[in-house]
Amino acid sequence: MNKRGSYYRYLNRFGWLCVAPAMVFYSLFMLYPILSSLYYVTRKWKGMSNTFVGLGNFARMAQDKIFQLALGHNFLFMFTQIPLMIFLALILAVILNQGIKRLRGSFRVIFFLPCVTSLVAYSVLFRILLQSNGLLNNIMMNAHLIASPIGWLNDPFWAQTTIILALTWRWTGYNMVFFLVGLQSIDSEIYEAAEVDGASKVRQFFRITLPLLLPVILFSAVTSTSGTMQLFDEPNILTNQGGPGNGTMTAALYIYRQAFVLNSDFGYATAMSYIVVLISGVFAFVQMKLLGGRDK
Amino acid sequence: MKKGLVFALALILFAALVPGLSAADAKKVTVWCWDPNFNGYSMKQAAAVYNKAHPDVTIEIVDIPENIEGKITAGLQAGGSGLPDIALFQDFRIEQFLQDYPQGFVDLKAAGVDYSKFAAYKVGPMTVGKSIYGIPFDTGSTGLWLRADMIKAAGLNPDSYMGKNLKWSDIVKLGLAVKAKTGKALIAYDTTNYDFIRIMVQSTGTQFFNKDGSLNLRTPALKAAIAQVKDLNDKGILYLTEGWNNWISAFNNGDSAGLLQALWIIGTLKSKPENAGKWMVIPTPLLEGVAGAQNASNNGGSSWYVFASSPNKALALDFLKSTWASSTPAALAFYNDILKQCGAMGTYLPSRTGTNYTAPDEYFYKSQAVFKDFSAWMEKVPVLMYTANYQTMNTAVKNAVLPLLQGKTKSIDDVLTAAETEYKQTSGQ
Repeated sequence: MNKRGSYYRYLNRFGWLCVAPAMVFYSLFMLYPILSSLYYVTRKWKGMSNTFVGLGNFARMAQDKIFQLALGHNFLFMFTQIPLMIFLALILAVILNQGIKRLRGSFRVIFFLPCVTSLVAYSVLFRILLQSNGLLNNIMMNAHLIASPIGWLNDPFWAQTTIILALTWRWTGYNMVFFLVGLQSIDSEIYEAAEVDGASKVRQFFRITLPLLLPVILFSAVTSTSGTMQLFDEPNILTNQGGPGNGTMTAALYIYRQAFVLNSDFGYATAMSYIVVLISGVFAFVQMKLLGGRDK
Repeated sequence: MKKGLVFALALILFAALVPGLSAADAKKVTVWCWDPNFNGYSMKQAAAVYNKAHPDVTIEIVDIPENIEGKITAGLQAGGSGLPDIALFQDFRIEQFLQDYPQGFVDLKAAGVDYSKFAAYKVGPMTVGKSIYGIPFDTGSTGLWLRADMIKAAGLNPDSYMGKNLKWSDIVKLGLAVKAKTGKALIAYDTTNYDFIRIMVQSTGTQFFNKDGSLNLRTPALKAAIAQVKDLNDKGILYLTEGWNNWISAFNNGDSAGLLQALWIIGTLKSKPENAGKWMVIPTPLLEGVAGAQNASNNGGSSWYVFASSPNKALALDFLKSTWASSTPAALAFYNDILKQCGAMGTYLPSRTGTNYTAPDEYFYKSQAVFKDFSAWMEKVPVLMYTANYQTMNTAVKNAVLPLLQGKTKSIDDVLTAAETEYKQTSGQ
C-alpha cells in the first residue's frame, strides 16, 4: 500500500481540515486561558488593578483555613459518596441484568433520568423539600420516625448528608448504565462454569463480576473524582452558598466567591484552581495505578 | 464530491451558530435589577413616564434574581461586554465595585445631576473624590412588622402596640404571649442572612469598621445584638428559615407572626392580597443598654448606576435625569405611585410632597399610614459606613452567629473571634 499516493494525501489533508475548527476552539478556550493563568497566578488582583506577589497567593492558601475546610469537604464527599454510589450502581446493574428483560428498559430509564435533570432545578426543588418544615420532615414526623424536625439545611452534619444524598440520587443511574453495558460484555459461560463448580451468587459477584468490570469501575471512579473536586452547583444552590456557616463549602465554590462575589481577586482564585487541578490529577493517577494496571 | 458537500454543510451550520453582529440598538436602554415586585415595578413606572415624551425609546427591564453582582463582575472584567446600560446596586456593595473598577461607571455629577436634591446619606456611598456615580433610589428605613390578627388571637390588643417605641424586652414578652396562645413564633429569622443583626446594630449608629477601614466587631452594640438574638431564639420567639425564599413564605403564609425588615418588603407583603388588613408595623425596637440606641434603623437601599461601557450612555442618562432626578409633575406622580404600590420610598427630596407620603394605606391594619411612619423614622437614621469589605464582613459574622443559635458555640466572644478569623482569611488582610 502506497501511503504516499494522492488519495492518501487527500485524506490526510481532509482530516486535518476537519479537525482544524476543533483545534482552533481548543487553543482559544483551553490553551489560551491555561497559559494566561500563569500570568494571573503570581499577582494579587483587585478588580482591574493588580500587584505582583510572586508565590504570595500560595502562601496565603497555606494559611487560609476556609480553603482548607473547603478541600476537606471535597475529600469527605469523595470518600463517602463515590464508594457508596459505585456500590449502589453495581448492585442495581447486576439486579437489572438478571431481572426480567421486559422491565429492564423502563427501570433503566427511571434510574437514568435524575442525571439529565437540570442541576439548578433539582437543587431548588430539593431545597424546598428539605426545609425544616418541608415535605420530608413532615412525612417523617407523621410516621413517627423522628421526634423533632431534622435540620437538613441548617446543621452542618445534615447539610453534608444532604449533599451526599443529592449527589447519589443524581449520579447512580448514570454509572449504573455504564456497568450494565459492562455486564453485557461478560461471557455468560464464565458464570455457568462457576455454577457448575458450586460458587454462590455472592461469590460470583466478588470473584467474577467485580474483577471483569474493573475497567468500567475505574472509569466511573476517575470521572466521579474529578467531578467531585469541581463540585459547585449543589453547595451553591441546595445549601445556600456553602452553608450553613461554611459547612458545605467546596473548593470550586470558594474559588468562585473569591473571584466574583467577595473580592474580585482573580489571582488568588487562579492559584487555588491550580491546587485543585493538581489534586485531581494526583487522585486520577493513584486510581489508575491501583485499579487499571492489570491490562498493561 | 460527497465529502465536500458534508464539509460545506458543516461550515454553514458552524457559521449559523456564531452569533451575528447586531448593530447597537439606537433607541434601547437595558436595565438589570432584582425583585420584579419592587425594583422592576418602580423602573417600569419610570419607563412609562419617559415613554410619554419619548415613545420611540424601548426600555427593557431584565430581572436577575440571583447574584447580580457576580454577573456584573464578569461583565466588568470583560471590559463591559454583556453588561446592560443601567444596573441596580445595593448601597453596601457599591463601594467595593467603585474601588475595584474605577473606570467602569459613568460620573453622573459630571453629567449634570443635581445631588443637592437627594438625601445626603444616600449620596455618601456613591461618592469617590469629586465624582458621584449613582442615582439614589430607595431608603431602607426599618420597622417591626406584626400580624395584628395573630396578636388578637393571642388575646392582646394590637392597637396598644401601634406607634409605640418599645424595647426588645417588651417584644420578648409579646412573643412569649403569642407563642403560648397561638403556638406561632413571633419573628421569622433567615439564618443565611445578616439583616436582623445588622438592623439591630445600626439602630445605635454603630459601625462595623473603624474610620481607617479596618474591622471592628468588638462593639457593645454587636455584642448586645447577638445576645438579644440568642435570647429570642432560646425562648422560641424566632422562626428559623434557611434561605430568602423560605423566609418570605414563612411570614407570607402565616407560619410566623412577623418580621423585622425595611419598608421595601411591602412589595412582597402586598403580593398576597389575602393578607390585606392584617399587617401593621411598629418602630424598630430599642436595643437596651447600648449608647446611641434609637427606635429606627436602616437596612439596605439601592441606587441606579450607568456603566461606562454602555453604547447608549447618553440615552440612559437622559432617561434617568428626566424621571428619577426630575421634579416635573409626571415624575413626582411616579414617585408617589411606587411608594404606595410597593413601598419604594425614594430619597429624592422634592418627591416627599406626594400625597401617599402621609395618606393612610388601606392594605394595612386599620389603614395605617405606614409611609408617614417610615418617613419619620428615616429622619433618625445615622450615616452608615460601608467600605469595600462589607460583604466579606457580612458573611463572616453570619457564619459565626449560626452555631451560637444552635448551641454549638458557647460564648459571644467565641462568635466574634470566629468572625474575625474568617474575615481575615477570606479578605486576605
